[in-house]
Amino acid sequence: GSLGAHPPSPLSLPPTVTSEQIEHLHRRFKQLSRDQLTIRKENFDSIPDLEFNPIRGKIIHAFFDKRRNLRQESDGLADEINFEDFLTIMSYFRPIEMNMDEEQLDRFRKEKLKFLFHMYDSDHDGKITLQEYRNVVEELLSGNPHLEKESVRSIADGAMMEAASICVGQMGPDQVYEGITFEDFLKMWQGIDIETKMHVRFLNMETIAHCY
Amino acid sequence: EDVGSAVARVGAVWLALVLALIVLPSALGVSLGISEAYMWVLVKTLEWATIRIEKGVKKPRPQMLKTPTANGIIERDETPMEKEIARLHRVDFEFSDIFYFCRKGFEAIVEDEVTQRFSSEELVSWNLLTRTNVNFHYISLRLTVVWVIGVIVRYCFLLPLRFTLAAIGITSMIVGTTMVGQLPNSSVKNYLSEVVHLTCSRILVRALSGTIHYHNKENKPRKGGICVANHTSPIDTIILTNDGCYAMVGQVHGGLMGVIQRATVKACPHVWFERSEIKDRHLVTKRLREHVADKSKLPILIFPEGTCINNTSVMMFKKGSFEIGGTIYPVAIKYDPQFGDAFWNSSKYNIVSYLLRIMTSWAIVCNVWYMPPMVRKEGEDAVQFANRVKSAIALQGGLTELPWDGGLKRAKVKDTFKEEQQKNYSKMLVRNGSVG
Repeated sequence: GSLGAHPPSPLSLPPTVTSEQIEHLHRRFKQLSRDQLTIRKENFDSIPDLEFNPIRGKIIHAFFDKRRNLRQESDGLADEINFEDFLTIMSYFRPIEMNMDEEQLDRFRKEKLKFLFHMYDSDHDGKITLQEYRNVVEELLSGNPHLEKESVRSIADGAMMEAASICVGQMGPDQVYEGITFEDFLKMWQGIDIETKMHVRFLNMETIAHCY
Repeated sequence: EDVGSAVARVGAVWLALVLALIVLPSALGVSLGISEAYMWVLVKTLEWATIRIEKGVKKPRPQMLKTPTANGIIERDETPMEKEIARLHRVDFEFSDIFYFCRKGFEAIVEDEVTQRFSSEELVSWNLLTRTNVNFHYISLRLTVVWVIGVIVRYCFLLPLRFTLAAIGITSMIVGTTMVGQLPNSSVKNYLSEVVHLTCSRILVRALSGTIHYHNKENKPRKGGICVANHTSPIDTIILTNDGCYAMVGQVHGGLMGVIQRATVKACPHVWFERSEIKDRHLVTKRLREHVADKSKLPILIFPEGTCINNTSVMMFKKGSFEIGGTIYPVAIKYDPQFGDAFWNSSKYNIVSYLLRIMTSWAIVCNVWYMPPMVRKEGEDAVQFANRVKSAIALQGGLTELPWDGGLKRAKVKDTFKEEQQKNYSKMLVRNGSVG
């Protein structure tokens, strides 16, 4: 069926996303869903630019993750998402507004980092283990056939050790580092500006003439 | 009985007017200036409409840019991957690298370069056609009245007129070429064939209210050459044959198109391929090469993109056309979307609804640039030559250049492309000495 003339009004979204942007996203949604009411995983196959991306699987997974990203009560993956869900995920990438206060900024940042954390933590146990981390690095480097598995592992191991040293400090000889928790993850990024790296900024929409 | 004869008389007068004012000047290659007058009125009306729309906006607006919408709605950070990842390499390289790919992924989901090219170009201001009224809402009574008048003019006056002209044009083409085809091969036959083709093209262009500006006519394609142009719609052919004679290349169709093809090939050596022949690339190249080698034959017309693009960009030129040899005469065609959208979105509209849309638009306005001939250089392969010609056409027409294959309209990205970026990323990591 058709999606109707106007998209649903996003009462749950903060006012930083303007209605023009929502209209554009709505049109994009319609294009991806081929005029259906919901999008399935297969619809993302029609985006050539996305084919390039080594973590394509994780990104698409994020759209369908029920508890973590869609803020629903149940666990697991949804089969299909509607426009509201689509907007919920896109809202993780909205840019900072000028008039945000400290608390809002902090919450904003935590949200973005949490989204990223879930990309690593594939079994959703709240910890990024060495194996999970290795998986991500392998995916990122999957395009290069010349890189041996051993080299990939040593890159991953080295990175984990560094992370451990930041989070836990000096470890005893028989201490086992279980994994990076979300608090540790936050610690890693303290003082580093990630907000500008994790947003999609729309061009000035006022150049399109519109009247009310 | 009186009503019947009155209607017949009106019909006859109208037909006579059409013949006298449009068909005859087309045959003689003369312009009576009716199109120019129509365009002038049209431009004035649209300017007035734009001013009324601008006045209707309450808040003050920044200066309107002319070309933002054609190129995207989101701001892309063009920093190359190396720089951006290097900037983040403070805590831990891979943890931060995921930011880059994550963002690129989201940008692609919001908007990607390729899919964008297969929907019509967005207008910066409304041109009083309902179909382009995406962003515009009710403004004022006066504007709505003008719009209603526009609808009446377009559907009740222009559409029948154009339809009549198109019918006359196609019929004369079939009849004319069949008659000329009866003659034995001679220079007289060639001359007459050119006259018939030109006249019918002119009638058909007028049937679309086409206003075409040709630039650099001294570079017009010559006999024995290959004319190459960017493709936006099936109308492209008529646009070009309006100004010169070409040997067309294409697949044999059924129906009306097939009738036209069979008639025209008797008068002029067009190159029509059966469906089975098209699959055999060598056969195709061989036949085209034979045609080009004969210097007395008309230049062939090819659209190397292989499919209709929405006229904001030029996509990959298939190399087949460039393997034939001979001199290439590039031509750039750029339509003005303000008066009518010429792009044929074949997945959305079939040919009949497409032609209906074209005939109920205001007009088709376009610019055609003839460019200086190009030949393949020493040591250049077909693909490089194709890209060189493509860049030249894109530059001339003011279109963006994309490396993508127009076939992506229907198919998926080739696997060979996929690994490129991943290879780059891993090469970079290895180079940074992170491999122990």
